[in-house]
Amino acid sequence: MEITIRNLSKHYRTEGGSIAALDRINLQIPANKIFTLLGPSGCGKTTLLRCIVGLEIPDEGEITIGDEVVFSSEKKISRPPDKRDLGMVFQTYAIWPHMNVFENVAYPLQAQKKPKDEIARRVAKTLHFVQLDGFENRPATKLSGGQQQRVALARALVAEPKVILFDEPLSNLDAKLREETRKELRRFLTELAITAVYVTHDRLEALSLSDNVAVMKSGKIVEVGTPWEIYFETDRRFVADFIGRVNFIEGSIARMENGSVIVDSGIGTIVCDRKKNLPVNSPVTLGIRPEFIKTFYENPGAAENTFRGRIETLVFTGDVWEAEVKSGTETLVLRIDPTFPVKTGDDIFLHLDRRHCKLLFN
Amino acid sequence: MSIRNPGTIFTAPLIAVVGFLTVCPVAMLVLGSFSEGLGAFGTFTLAKYATAYTDPEFIRIILNTVIFTTGSAMVSTGLALFLAYLNNRSNIPFKFLFSIISIVPMMVPHILFAVSWVLLLNPTNGMINLFFRQALGWEGIVFSIYTLKGMILVEGLLDLPIAYLVIAPAMSSFDVSLEESSRVCGASNIRTLLRITLPVLRPAILAAVTLVIIRSMASFAVPSVIGMPGRIYVLATHIYRVVATGYAADYGLAAAIGMSALVASITLIFVYRRLTREGEKYVTVSSRGFHPTTIDLKGARYPLFGIVGLISFVLIVLPVAVLFYTSLVPYSMVPGVKAFAAMSWKHYIGVLKDPVSLISLKNSLLLGTGGASLGIVLSFFVAYTIVKIKTKASGFLESLSFLSFSFPGIVVGIGFMWFFVQTPLYSTIWALLVGYIATYLPYGIRPLTSAFVQIHGNLEESSRVCGGGALYTMRRIVLPLLVPGIVSGWILMATMFVRELSLSVVLSRPGTEVLAVQILRFSEDGLWGSLSALGIMMIFISTALVVIASFAGARLTSVKN
Repeated sequence: MEITIRNLSKHYRTEGGSIAALDRINLQIPANKIFTLLGPSGCGKTTLLRCIVGLEIPDEGEITIGDEVVFSSEKKISRPPDKRDLGMVFQTYAIWPHMNVFENVAYPLQAQKKPKDEIARRVAKTLHFVQLDGFENRPATKLSGGQQQRVALARALVAEPKVILFDEPLSNLDAKLREETRKELRRFLTELAITAVYVTHDRLEALSLSDNVAVMKSGKIVEVGTPWEIYFETDRRFVADFIGRVNFIEGSIARMENGSVIVDSGIGTIVCDRKKNLPVNSPVTLGIRPEFIKTFYENPGAAENTFRGRIETLVFTGDVWEAEVKSGTETLVLRIDPTFPVKTGDDIFLHLDRRHCKLLFN
Repeated sequence: MSIRNPGTIFTAPLIAVVGFLTVCPVAMLVLGSFSEGLGAFGTFTLAKYATAYTDPEFIRIILNTVIFTTGSAMVSTGLALFLAYLNNRSNIPFKFLFSIISIVPMMVPHILFAVSWVLLLNPTNGMINLFFRQALGWEGIVFSIYTLKGMILVEGLLDLPIAYLVIAPAMSSFDVSLEESSRVCGASNIRTLLRITLPVLRPAILAAVTLVIIRSMASFAVPSVIGMPGRIYVLATHIYRVVATGYAADYGLAAAIGMSALVASITLIFVYRRLTREGEKYVTVSSRGFHPTTIDLKGARYPLFGIVGLISFVLIVLPVAVLFYTSLVPYSMVPGVKAFAAMSWKHYIGVLKDPVSLISLKNSLLLGTGGASLGIVLSFFVAYTIVKIKTKASGFLESLSFLSFSFPGIVVGIGFMWFFVQTPLYSTIWALLVGYIATYLPYGIRPLTSAFVQIHGNLEESSRVCGGGALYTMRRIVLPLLVPGIVSGWILMATMFVRELSLSVVLSRPGTEVLAVQILRFSEDGLWGSLSALGIMMIFISTALVVIASFAGARLTSVKN
């Protein structure tokens, strides 16, 4: 079900006054898609999630889930979390240690006072869905992290909620299990076609799991889009930096040509694709991701965006050499084929792909 | 704010109830000390202070109190240091004994522990004295427990667990590298101990000393059972003498004397708080998972263990054995064939036919079970407010509930007496119940707050999101997870109530006698056989309550498979 958030604000009182955890947020979360709130810690993403669930009460604004207003400061509506028909998976899983797997998963149905045989049937079905058949009588705390996570997921799903919400659910798993669980989760959620709101600070999780991502910073939504749009098309310095590795090159506009922007910078004159008009001589920041800088020992002979550089540091990470290359007054991070015989101090040529030289703004 | 907590509405009533329980006795003590007498409450006079503090004996009593409390503190802290060092830092065998030493003595009621020493060492028919006289033909009194030294020894042993519980954690979190560097610098083990270990542990040692001084000043069992027969009075027994023995009871005078005990306690508690705060600065705790190097005791290993074994024997086995033996023999006699032949259950039968003993059994059992249950309900709400509702008011509630904790029970009793006389509760079991709960509330609150702290907020929140309302969440999530805390709180309160002495000697009246008071009466009359029989029953009741409660707790917490 669709979630609409209008003008939502929440302040926390501190010793010196108050800080805005959420600052007039407007957001449309589409139905039956996986929607991720991404941002650094303290950006307000968890607060926003907890406001949707009803565990936090905003100071102002309105939250509508489907066609039901669950919070409105104007209309003085604030439904308690147990009356919102939602499911949630916590970062800690919040598996109740005094109950076994069956009791944990049956709980939402028991709270709704469903008949015993229906509870048994639906719990069995949900446990089957998350591939925990036969675990009914295990004490929930004796399960592995991944299994506990699936119990938490089953518990959130069993009552067929309008929306399921995730608060950094993978952060307690080790790296390998996290990757598997991420894929599995994506499969489960796409299969169910349920509206999912997912909070994380891990960009890889956000990119690989979501249909849509909202990047947050200091209580505000900075940008909303598909993972592809966020990664490639953003023109915001913060978003580009947060979503992946990026080299920033400071410069100024030399001139505008048909389809191109010519920028003077510390490494030379860079030609970029023209997206909008900018006054000549105005300072700009160029952003280019490491994977779009190609390296050569011989001058490739391209007409534009080819520069000389010297390798300052090299780190071997297995799949690539991670190199810091000094070119002009700038130092760029880039990746070199790991089988390439390079060493520190080598002089090389760089070529910057003009389609991926982005003009970034704050 | 996060979701409206339905428990917030309890804060104000709780502050009212707890505030009444803890402030009432103190306030009434102050007012009472300026009043003519129980019947003339509110008529202002300074006469009581004049009488109390111009009494030429008062200097002697203060001196006795100071010697008794500091002496006990030296004994228990010294022993605690010795034990903690051996346990944490040496390769002494059978280390499990140490945790027994630190817990089990709390199970033996203090009055019975004191009595067992009287049975061994009293000058007329103490077992050890009898032995020396009969077997070795010595004349006169060999040892007398009825001295200040005897009081110090017994109180010191009684407070050993408290000192140990303060010192042992500091000793085990001690950063061994400080010692190792001293050893590298060429200092011997002993020199390292004296120059490095003890100075670094100084805050913990001082905290232990202060705590034992507070506890021994509040102690009534040892001063009454051992001190009074030897005419050695400390503040607690001086107050008791004014209201309970000899001439007409004067509660105004008792309150005036009590004021000095109260002021001393408050000062000491303040000192203790300062010391424990300082302690965080001093004791260096390393977060690395190091394994402290242990000192090889070599040849001293078993002799030192012998001393530890002796201490455990004296603390745990001896008192119960002496009481049990005395409860079976017809009169004081040295253990032997003759004594064994004369053994019978006649003291038990006698006690069970004695109407006052029966009343005291009934009352203590009632107060132990019912009182602890009521106390734990109150503790539950207080702990909930302290942990889950973090407002200024709940912080105030926390300090309030611990206010009267370390005040001498007899002083709190005098304060309550002034209050109860004005109410119909006077001379009913309800007066004892209110007094007990007021004084021992922290015993219930402590385990419950730590149980509440362990329940992660997410566990409740996820129940709310799963559709469980506030009350449903309380019933199905919070309460079941609290069971271990509830059980240990209940056990602590119940065992404290069954053995309670220092409040009860003031508040108990004919018809509301309790076990410890009846035991004190037997002791005053020298009825050692009946005393021991009743004492053994008291230990039996406490143990039974502990076993039953633990069993019930285990049943409730097991996850259904």
